[in-house]
This record gives sequence, structure tokens and C-alpha cells, in this order.
Amino acid sequence: MACRKKRNSVANMFGNWKLLILLVMVVSSVLAIGLKTYAYGRNGVEVVFVQPDSPARGVINQGDIITHINNRPINNADEWNNVIQGITGDIKLRINNKDITILINNTFGIDVKNIERTNLQFGLDLQGGTRVLLKPKENVTQDTAYQIISTLETRSNAYGLREIKFQPLIIGDTFLIQIEAAGLQRDIVENLLATQGKFEAKIIKPVDITGDAAIQLGQEKFPVKITGEDIEINNSLISKNKTFRLKNIEFEYVNKTQDRIFLLASVYSGQDIELVSTDPQSSAVAPQSGGYAFYFTVFVSKEGAEKFADVTAGIPSKLDFQTGERYLDTSLLLYLDDEIVSQLSVSEALAGEIFQSPQIQGFRETYEEAFGEKLRLQTILRSGALPTTLETVSVNTISPTLGSEFLITSLYAGILAGTIVFLVILGRYRSLKTVIPLVLISLSEVIIIIGIAAANDSVIWGVAILVNLFIISAVWWKKRESDIFAWIGAIMIPLIGMLSWTIDLPTIGGIIAAIGTGVNDLIIIADEALGGRKKEITEDAKTRIKRAMFTIFGAAAIIIAAMIPLMFLGVGLVRGFAITTIVGVLVGIFITRPVYAKIVEPKTVVS
Amino acid sequence: MEEGKGEFRKYKLLIPIPIILLIFSAAVLVNGYAQTGEWFLRSVELKGGTLITINNPGDISAASLETSLSKFGAVSVRELRGLSGNAVSIEMGSEIDQNAVLAELRNLGVSTQDSSIQEVGPALSSTFWIQSQFAIITAFVLMSIAVFLIFRTFVPSFAVILAAASDIIATIAFMQLLGIQLSFASLAAILTLIGYSVDTDVLLTTRVLKGFGSLRERINAAMKTGLLMSFTAIGALAAILVFSLSAVLSQIAIVLLIGLIIDIANTWIQNASILAWHAERKGIV
Repeated sequence: MACRKKRNSVANMFGNWKLLILLVMVVSSVLAIGLKTYAYGRNGVEVVFVQPDSPARGVINQGDIITHINNRPINNADEWNNVIQGITGDIKLRINNKDITILINNTFGIDVKNIERTNLQFGLDLQGGTRVLLKPKENVTQDTAYQIISTLETRSNAYGLREIKFQPLIIGDTFLIQIEAAGLQRDIVENLLATQGKFEAKIIKPVDITGDAAIQLGQEKFPVKITGEDIEINNSLISKNKTFRLKNIEFEYVNKTQDRIFLLASVYSGQDIELVSTDPQSSAVAPQSGGYAFYFTVFVSKEGAEKFADVTAGIPSKLDFQTGERYLDTSLLLYLDDEIVSQLSVSEALAGEIFQSPQIQGFRETYEEAFGEKLRLQTILRSGALPTTLETVSVNTISPTLGSEFLITSLYAGILAGTIVFLVILGRYRSLKTVIPLVLISLSEVIIIIGIAAANDSVIWGVAILVNLFIISAVWWKKRESDIFAWIGAIMIPLIGMLSWTIDLPTIGGIIAAIGTGVNDLIIIADEALGGRKKEITEDAKTRIKRAMFTIFGAAAIIIAAMIPLMFLGVGLVRGFAITTIVGVLVGIFITRPVYAKIVEPKTVVS
Repeated sequence: MEEGKGEFRKYKLLIPIPIILLIFSAAVLVNGYAQTGEWFLRSVELKGGTLITINNPGDISAASLETSLSKFGAVSVRELRGLSGNAVSIEMGSEIDQNAVLAELRNLGVSTQDSSIQEVGPALSSTFWIQSQFAIITAFVLMSIAVFLIFRTFVPSFAVILAAASDIIATIAFMQLLGIQLSFASLAAILTLIGYSVDTDVLLTTRVLKGFGSLRERINAAMKTGLLMSFTAIGALAAILVFSLSAVLSQIAIVLLIGLIIDIANTWIQNASILAWHAERKGIV
């Protein structure tokens, strides 16, 4: 056998260079999972939610890291929650390494969580939360879908929803909007997010028909002829509940009595809103008999206000006996999605005037309800209307305790399954030399799969590619050993590593499936490698390993083929399963299983 | 080779097993279809409705819960037991108000703290259902193409595909019998099963067509490896099944478990006999 007697130390080091590449992958994976940069140290808590009525609103933001309270270090969320119990007065916090003092009268009104210590992103089913799918009432284009999401983001920011993620999904040829959030009440989804938010302000315009009936708009008068129940304006006949336009104002003919007809004039719409006030002078909740009243001012454009001036001109006023003030004999009706949210009296002084600051008012039984409704209306008016109404087509809620329970039981199940596999294989081969590497290889596959799923790890995998390139070139330089397949794996797998996906229950299922096929493949390799030992060697070990590899590649190709349709199924609910299985199989055939073949390959090679 | 001759005939006594299994499965499916008009029991994802799952609900029986909740309409309650606790799942139509049901549960003294609620509207679920059927067919076609590309001979490739098809049909039939619904999770398991079951078939085919020794030796060697593969997987899946309380993982585990057990017959009797017949006819061995 032609074999070099002396190998220099470098060549020795690269003797099993595929193992070296495997080690690079495992180390990279561990780093990808656990290496997270902490801007403000490893201790502290992350702010996930600032309640709308929190005294810290505007000072503390979502994502801030709080490390100290009154100079006392905070290590985790439990500590924080204990410390803030009943704490009031001037509180000194260190937020993002800056000291800030906040006056707390009642409660902080902020929620915190422990700082994420890994780069893993866990799915809703493992950490708890709500996933909602909303479907636009009519089919929308991609642009419209993004426009909807941008409006929804504005709404959730304005409302102060915690950690909420929006994503457009395509199913068939329909766009859906997916919302994922830690804690999301169904009514918030329906009343705040899915509401179209079409704003309109209308004025009831009474027209006297006892004499020469005419609609007065500003200084102009438009004659009206009464024909039975219908009215005639500009030579066109209008029946009840029909609309017409005068001076670019839309009117609806709503009712007729003995001496008057009533028209409903649209004066402002959502486009006219220029500012929704939130400052305490023009936006507040105040106790009122039997409950709480809320109000806030909306500033509207000049064009809208001119319509108001035109319509209110000529409306008679009457005395309100309770307040002793004179009001117009009409109401300003504010509509949200065709429902009246406020009905306002208009002071006599405003008749025919350009009025740009109507106030939205309401009443609820409790402070919380009043505050919530005021915030909801302000939020919707600030964000503007959605291009279309959204309907809820699917809601999935998982409580946080259940989520973490799933993670823990999955872990136990995995350990138990691993132990059983270990025992079965040990019972068969009765050789730790065969079984221990098999277990370690399987374990390395799990670590690499999770490492690939981790986020924010492009740099680590970039370095891994460079290290692998170095190993490949060194081996080529010293030993002239080439293996196109291993080369592809050494570059491709770190590239895949730059991907990231959410670890959810289907992903765990995928890890189980990938490891299952992995163990199967390793058994095939072990059997082929050991097969020749028992009897006289009748077949070249290389041939047998080659045959094992053929089987493995065949099986891998087939499982990948079967997984591809799953990638596109049901708005990606089981995509984690498919991706994990495919990635696991690729890691197995390109990186780990060839290493195992090398380890268990009989040392005496028949040539 | 003398030794190899007549290997196929030795299967004569065993061949009825996979055939009976297939006929039985087909009968179960046809019977189910005749009764309900459906080939599959579908989960809420695929037929629409609401599923409330409550872990550690306290001391309550599924039957009494179903009776108490029946005033809301058609509600079906099931119990899940695992080593780490128990759970009940309550399935109902979309028209039933889930908040009313949750309130009633709390009235009955059921702790709803560890719960999950899944609600899928009818339009979405019907799209999901069409997609699922499409996924099964696509996966099967892609798998068949891959098998033909790998072996490039008709009979062995056909035998592998037939084994996979038999596995899927029988697994779906047993799912019907055990009341396991087709959901995204169990669908993922069925597609994985295509991969798993084909593993052993590819092993067998490779050993028979490219192996060394007599036909019997080749089949035996493949069987020794293949059975070890199946038993380790069955052991691991059983562990997951008894331990995990997550419906997703339990469904994946039980479907794979059923499929792998069925696959033993389909690989080592059905596929092996076809291969033996092919190998002897073609004089490969």
C-alpha cells in the first residue's frame, strides 16, 4: 500500500478535516444561539408595554432597558415586580444607562420582561400570545395590504399595544393580515384594529317649507319645491333617503313634517382631520353624574369648516333652559363607520362661522371604560381610515403558562426519546465506540439546526465560512485531498445559517423528524461499516460506505421532495416543520453523516 | 444462484398480510365516507370552528363537561392524558360564543388559566382544506419522481411508491378508527411518513440491487438494519407520545408511530416480495 510514512503535524491536524468542519459548525451554532450583545450589560429588564395612562408615558419607551431603581440593581422581571409594589414619590430609574427621575403617584403602569439571553425567537405556541388573521372585505393588492399594515401599526403604537407584529400573508390569491402579539384581547382586535375607521361629521339641516321654501347655504339660497313626499331641487326630483349635492356638499333627504323638511349634510370627513388633540387642555376624562364623561378636540381643515359655515347659516336658534344659553336648532353628528359616536349641540355664535375644532364627547360608566373609549376613538381618528373593512377569519390564543409548559415537556420528551434511542442502539451494537459517536453526531445535528434557526448571526456564519475555506485550502495544500461534496457543504450550510426562523411546536416536530432520519442514516452507515467485520472481508469497505451514502442521499432527496409542499401550506403554519426537516437533512448529508462514516470506517482498507 | 432461487415463493404465506391490511384500510375509509361523506376526520383548521384546549383543568370528566356544555349547541369534548398532566379539548362550531363557553367552564370550576383557543372561519378553513389536499398530492408526485430518478428501473421504483401509498392509506384508515383528525400537524406527519417509510424501502432496494451475497442474505442484512431503524424511531415516538401534552407534537408522534408500524409489513413483506420476484426474474441475483 502506498502510504506516506511520515505526516507532518499540519496534515495530522487535518487528518479528519471533515470532523474539523463539523466542530466549526457546532461552535458557530453555539455562538449563534448564545452570543448576544448587550448594550447595557447583562442585567436589567426590558420594557414591553407602557400603559396609556402611565406617568412614564413619553419618558420610557418599549424596548428600553431598566437596570436600576433608586440605585438598586434590577436583575430580572420578578425582582422588578417585587420592588415596584406600592412604590410612590420621586423614583430614580437608570434607563439605557441614563438616570431619569419620574414622579409616581399611583402605579408605574409599565410591563417588563427579562432580557432575551439568546438569539432564538420562540413562536406564539411556546411563549403564549394571540395570532389573528384578518381578511380584507374585498380583494386588495399588495400595496393596499402594506397600507393597511401601516395604518394598523400607527393604531397599535398610538394605543400602546405591546410587542405586536403585523405581516401580510398570501393565501391562494387573497391577502390576509396576520397579527401576532403577546397579549391581545379579541375586542381590541375587532374594535380598534379591524375597524375601518371611516369618520364623518354631519349636520341636520332643517328647512322651513311654510312659505317659499329654500335651502340657505352661506348667503346663497336654493329654492325647493315640495311634490307630495318628494322634493324638487334644480329640476330634479329627490325622494326620501336619496342624496344630492349643492355647492359641493352632499345632502341626504331624511324626513318631512308639516312645516319642515330635514336634510343631513356631510361637512367633515376623515380627510379633513388635521390634528387629534391629546393634550390635557383639550382631551380629558371627567366624573359626571353616574359615571365619567370624556372629550377631546379634533382640528379640521378649512374646506371642511367652510362647509360647516355654509350649512349652519340660517338655522334658527333656541334657548336651552338648563344652561340658559342659545343653541342652534340642530345637532352636529359625528359618525365612525356609519355609527354615531357623538351628538353635539352647536352654539348660536357658531352659525355661519368657520368652525375648525369640533369636540368629540362621550360617556361611560367607569373611568377605565371612558378612558379606553377616548383612547380608541383618538387612535382611530389619528391613524385615519383603513382602505377597507377587515374581518377576523382566525384567532389563536395560547396562554403564556401553557406555552412555557409546552417547551419544558418537549424538552423532557426529547431527553426521554434520546435515551430510548441510545439504549436500543447500544443493545444492538454493544460497542460504545460505535454508539457514543452516533449519539454525539445526532446531538451535534440538533445544535446545528437550532444554531441555523437563530437570528442576528450573519457575522458568526460569515466567519465560519472563512474558517471552513481555510481548512479546505489547507487540506488541499498539504494533502491534495478534495471532496467537492464536503466543500459544498462547508460553504452552503453556513450560508443557510444566516437564515432564521421562529422556533415553534412544528419546528420541534421538525427537529424530531430530522433527528429520526439522521439516526436511521447513521444506523445504515454503522451496519455497512461493521458488516464486513464479522465474516471474512468479501467486499471493499469503501464500496459499502458508498452504498450506504447512496441510500442516504436517496432517502434525503425523497424526504426533501415530500417536505416542499408543506412550505407553502396554510399561511406558513407548518413551515417551521418543513424548513427544519429540510435543513436538518441537508446538515446531515453534507456535514455530519460523512464524519460518522469516517469515524466508524474500518481502518484496514482492502484495495 | 441456487440459494437465491425461489426466494419469492417463500413470501407466499406472508403476502396476504399487506393485502388484507390494504383491503381492510380501504374498507374503513369507504365505510367512513359512506357514513359521513368525508374521507378524513378534519380538525377545526380544515373544517372551521373553534377549539378550546385546557391543560390541567382540575377534576372533571369529559362526559359530564359535554353534557353541561350541550346547551350551547353541538359541542364535543375529549380528554388527553400524558405523563405530565391531562388536558381537555372542546370543539364547537363557529356559531357558538366562545366567551359564553369559557364563562360556563369557570362556573363549573374548571381552571382555564392554561388554555389555548383556536378559531378558524369557514372561508379560511375551506382554502386550507384545498391546500392540504394539494400538498398531499404534490408531495406524493415529487416523491415518486425522486424515487424514479434514484433507481431508474420501473419495478423497484414502483414497489417503493406502492409501499409509500399503502402506508399512507393504512395510516389514514387507522387515524379514522382511533378518531385522530387530519390537521396541519398530522398532515405534516403523514408527509414525513412518506420520507420515513421510503427510508427503509430505499435501503432494501439498494441492498438488493447493489448489494453482495445471495438474495436472502441481501434481504436479511437490509432487514436487520431496517428493523433497528424502525424500532429506534418507534421507541422515540412512544416516549414523545407519553410525555408531551402538546397536541401538535402528540399528533405528529402518533401518526408517525402508526405509520412506522404499518410500514414494517409494507416494506419487509410487500416491497421485499416484489423485489424478490423482480430480482429473480431479471437474474440480478
